Amino acid sequence: MRQFTYLRPSTSKAAIDALSKDPNAQFIAGGTNLIDLMKKGVMAPEKLVDINNLPLKEIKKQTGNLHIGALALNSDVSENKLVTQYHPLLSLALKAGASAQLRNMATVGGNMLQRTRCFYFYEPSLPCNKREPGSGCGALEGVNRMHAIFGWSDKCIAVHPSDMAIAMVALDASVLVYGPKGNRRIPFQDFHRLPGDTPEKDNSLEKGELVMGVEIPDGPFTKNVHYLKVRDRASYAFALVSVAAALNISGKTIKDARLAMGGVAHKPWRLLDAEKALIGKPATEETFKQAADIAMRGAKGFKYNSFKIPMGKNAILDALKTAAAKV
Amino acid sequence: MQENENCKNIKASRRDFFKQSSLLAAIALTPSAVINAAQQEWDEKVASAIEEVSVQLDVNGIKHSLSIEPRVTLLDLLREQLHLTGTKKGCDHGQCGACTVHVNGNRINSCMTLAVMQEGKKITTIEGLAKGDKLHPMQEAFIKHDGFQCGYCTPGQIMSAVACIREGHADTEAEIREYMSGNICRCGAYPNIVDAIMEVKKGGKKV
Amino acid sequence: MWENLFSEGKPGALDRVDGKQKVTGAAKYAAEYNLGNLSHAVLVESTIAKGRIKNIDTKQAERAPGVIGIIHHGNAPKVPGYDTGDNPAKPPTGGEPFRIFQNARVYFAGQPIAVVVADTYERALYAATLVKTEYDKDEHETDVEENKDKANRPKGPRFEDYVRGEANAYKTAPVKVEQEYILPIEVHNPMELHATTVVWEAEDKVKVYDKTQGVKATQKSIMDAFKLKEQNVQVIADFVGGGFGSALRTWPHVIAVILAAKKVNRPVKLVLTRPQMFTMVGYRPYTRQRMGVGATMDGKLVGITHEAISETSTYEEFTEGTVNMSKFMYACPNVNTNYKIVALDKSTPTWMRGPGEATGAWALECAIDELAYALSIDPVQFRIKNYAEMDQQRKLPWSSNFLKECYEKGAEAIGWNKRNPKVRSMREGDWLVGYGMATGTFGAGRGRATAKATLLADGTLLLQSAVSDSGPGTATAMVGIASETLGLSPSKITFDLGDSSLPPGPTQGGSTTTSTLGSAVYDICIALQQKLLEVAAAKEGSFLKDAKFEELSFKDGAISRKTDSAKKISYTEVLKQSNLPQIELTKDSQGGDERSKYSMYSFSVHFVQVHVHSLTGVVRVKKAVTVADAGKIVNKKTAGSQMIGGVVGGIGMALMEEGIFDHRFGRYVNNNLADYHVPVHADVPHVEVLFVDKKDPYTNPMGTKGLGEIAIIGFAPAVANAVYHATGKRIRELPITPDKLI
Repeated sequence: MRQFTYLRPSTSKAAIDALSKDPNAQFIAGGTNLIDLMKKGVMAPEKLVDINNLPLKEIKKQTGNLHIGALALNSDVSENKLVTQYHPLLSLALKAGASAQLRNMATVGGNMLQRTRCFYFYEPSLPCNKREPGSGCGALEGVNRMHAIFGWSDKCIAVHPSDMAIAMVALDASVLVYGPKGNRRIPFQDFHRLPGDTPEKDNSLEKGELVMGVEIPDGPFTKNVHYLKVRDRASYAFALVSVAAALNISGKTIKDARLAMGGVAHKPWRLLDAEKALIGKPATEETFKQAADIAMRGAKGFKYNSFKIPMGKNAILDALKTAAAKV
Repeated sequence: MQENENCKNIKASRRDFFKQSSLLAAIALTPSAVINAAQQEWDEKVASAIEEVSVQLDVNGIKHSLSIEPRVTLLDLLREQLHLTGTKKGCDHGQCGACTVHVNGNRINSCMTLAVMQEGKKITTIEGLAKGDKLHPMQEAFIKHDGFQCGYCTPGQIMSAVACIREGHADTEAEIREYMSGNICRCGAYPNIVDAIMEVKKGGKKV
Repeated sequence: MWENLFSEGKPGALDRVDGKQKVTGAAKYAAEYNLGNLSHAVLVESTIAKGRIKNIDTKQAERAPGVIGIIHHGNAPKVPGYDTGDNPAKPPTGGEPFRIFQNARVYFAGQPIAVVVADTYERALYAATLVKTEYDKDEHETDVEENKDKANRPKGPRFEDYVRGEANAYKTAPVKVEQEYILPIEVHNPMELHATTVVWEAEDKVKVYDKTQGVKATQKSIMDAFKLKEQNVQVIADFVGGGFGSALRTWPHVIAVILAAKKVNRPVKLVLTRPQMFTMVGYRPYTRQRMGVGATMDGKLVGITHEAISETSTYEEFTEGTVNMSKFMYACPNVNTNYKIVALDKSTPTWMRGPGEATGAWALECAIDELAYALSIDPVQFRIKNYAEMDQQRKLPWSSNFLKECYEKGAEAIGWNKRNPKVRSMREGDWLVGYGMATGTFGAGRGRATAKATLLADGTLLLQSAVSDSGPGTATAMVGIASETLGLSPSKITFDLGDSSLPPGPTQGGSTTTSTLGSAVYDICIALQQKLLEVAAAKEGSFLKDAKFEELSFKDGAISRKTDSAKKISYTEVLKQSNLPQIELTKDSQGGDERSKYSMYSFSVHFVQVHVHSLTGVVRVKKAVTVADAGKIVNKKTAGSQMIGGVVGGIGMALMEEGIFDHRFGRYVNNNLADYHVPVHADVPHVEVLFVDKKDPYTNPMGTKGLGEIAIIGFAPAVANAVYHATGKRIRELPITPDKLI
């Protein structure tokens, strides 16, 4: 790891000033991803702006939504009463991620900003367009078992590794951002990008912008929700595929539905067509199967990851069944 | 060529930083020697060699005043500078849990945080768990249930196990297994560790 | 002696003698010695898999803060032992070792090509990133599948094709199975990173703290490499954080750091990174096996054919006993085996727990299961039907073999007979339920060891031998053996290990430590008793005058006649009345010719219940029962833990472990603990361990047979067999990840 200067501002204004004027500076919060990348030499900031002293830890109920500060810890959010009451899906997704120790360090802001776990990205001596634009995509014809089946480009087939973000996108959250140009709000759905020709850019944050928090609108998804993470071991592993499923069932009819997938795309993958196929239908296995079929339309795999298509279908079915069965 | 450019960038950015820092309501943890070095555009080697920051750390109730490079992780600080080698390095990337310590009572991976970020917090390592010669109940339970073989992951397992009970995640064996999954044991002592935690939990003693 | 070993307070139920050190963080591993003036080494690795280093530019790195020295092939001092035929880091089975920093050749990706030494770890690490290397790159080959036609039979009689009866006789059998089984690369990944700390105490005297399973073997390697005298090389391994085989040999990087410490003239510490643990300390090689098994309609084996192709490096010939189990395990008139290896541009593999036998059992025990199903015979009954009454290969009687009892005990414990034997017949919700079992075996060896005993006037006993303990609990077992043999409370006994300057002990590997070292401890305790008798009897008026050794009882720290336990003299009194401060004895110990008369093996039988999710393909081992015929068990607690450890390793092998290469680059693409999955807590159920616990009459004085290897051998096929029972799907390529069951 190269040497860097370190500062710990106490206001958001000071933090973004410190960052925006320095082309090679980074915010650091939990550090669980950035320090990892710095150790690997994937990122080499010359300045670290530690934002942990900023007052961004609060989780509070506001009219019409739940506000979660960017520095709220993953563990705190997952256990928070407001979260488990209003958005249990988010709690489940957070608990499926990483380990208890890492969840005690990782923040909400950091979680959504974490970078892909693609091995070619992580190993500086291998080609990767995301790390080094123009060097090629190592995964495209390489070992791509963990890679994308939706929304990839021939420049990058990496996936976003977050579990939390899958729930966030399903719950129609918004990201609150503060930067040199002031405040703005980005729908979670638009926060992460598809790789296209510029895979080096993970999200729509602009230089110097700081994630202040997220807001999740109140919704009916307080009971029939499930986050299913299919992985190579029972815990502490990244998803092969994951499914965030939320149903609002009245009698036997699905009034409203949310469905999103992780481990399949460069961003949290919301399944709007499949949701439409669920709404108004009876909450039966047949309905779920149809939705799962629709969900996987357009998926295209590579040499080692085509299994994600049938697995994704089955995982959606399983997640919906499990969500619907909750009482 | 590349090398010179690098040097230049480092110098430039340092100057840049010090210009800005006066504008900031920031705590710039950089000693004056570095400011001098940067202003006078000293050779990189000289400047970097003295680029340390002073930090006060509370480890196991003992206050340490240290001068360290900001890039030193909490784990390396504990092991290499404070010689508290009970905290182990198994992967250095947050993938094994051998480096688990408590910060303000919460378990974290000490390899994934910078020591400088822990200023003002209470750090507890395995060396700070027993009270003198009196072992912590979790340490006793690990011995009784043979919750280890080689012993290398053990300090991390124990620190994590104590936190697991404190967090309220030790009600069932399945819950313990899930919440202990951030601590890898290659010797495979898992079932014995779960037994140890269950016993301490059932014993009801404050951990 | 040895009767009520496991009752409370008895040595067979002892807590680990080093437990307190391990739970308090006081136990010191190789990288944890606070030595003055210590500097830190970081290795630079090759990024290509084959070729030559054209240029290595260290200028920028040398200028980095804190750098003390950078050593590479262009400036490294000669390693004197490399120039002679005497081989320093002796390869395990054949070939020429990689001579670190002695030439520009690159044999594998991740090869250490330079070492950077700096005053702090951070500075060394950073400076290492500034070393720039240019290569002349050659085409590399790292894929066994692409190169299997180039595989050759290793040299030597052990690897000649084996034929008993008629080759390929299985083809003539009424019912037969012919299948191929693949085992990927597995990596030991002990939790402790390999580490070496070196202090040159004089020009020709060096002290090395090293992660090694054999302090004497490492000492010898260093002596040979640097042409040093035995008394001038001290290797310390007080605690070893796991090994599973990775610390069985002295790897080139150990030589490199000793070289570096000499050159910078300062103590140097090197800790490998986790990625380096994949390329620098061995791995279990990828192996493709072809099995042909055939039986009569009533389930008697007709023939077994077992062929294996595995891999080695281009510079060393690594071999293991992959096909051995097939030669002797079952009563079968016709058996033929064939074992080949292909040299690839990779680092050398090494033995990993259960070594080749675990690889071989994966194929054999799956094939036997497939044949049982093909015959519609219960897999347990099929094995019992073909139980070998004697070693089929060597035509020798077993020293002991309680396999049938193992089958019975295990079947009973898991509820084998209560299962529905029909494939894909059992279900719990969306989970398919299946039962499977398999057998393991490994040679019950005994080597040579020397132990030193010092009985002090205060009645305490110090035992010493130069072994190291990577986790099984050697000192605990030795204290137990000494306590039981000598008749002295375990609390009065200390066992010293982990230092090459102690009397020579064995390398800890191959399930032999307790048998080998335990025999030495046993022998010296007997010698100590004889000496005590001699001293006591020599005393004027002793009641032991003219007493015969066999007539005496040594119990609770005192000697008495078996016929009169009331009249006794304590060991302390024996020393005191003769004004002796201590009795000190050293004894070398090894077996006799029993090995040529009996075939000695440990046996294990593993039973598992798995759940397989019908939608996602996720497999969970829900129950595991593991039964061992490992002779007499010295300490049930630590032995039980070792068996559980084997099960956990077996779960990894069965369900998740796989070292993955991108052959375009000849490199791993999962060389870390996030991408190379080993089991976590949530993967492991309660494990029931059962021991036959019967003394083997011939293996050694305690009657132990060893259990480190059998704990894992056969576990992976038991899981695969259970997955078949649950799903009807045979997975013949490990690991059984969810994608394979979709």
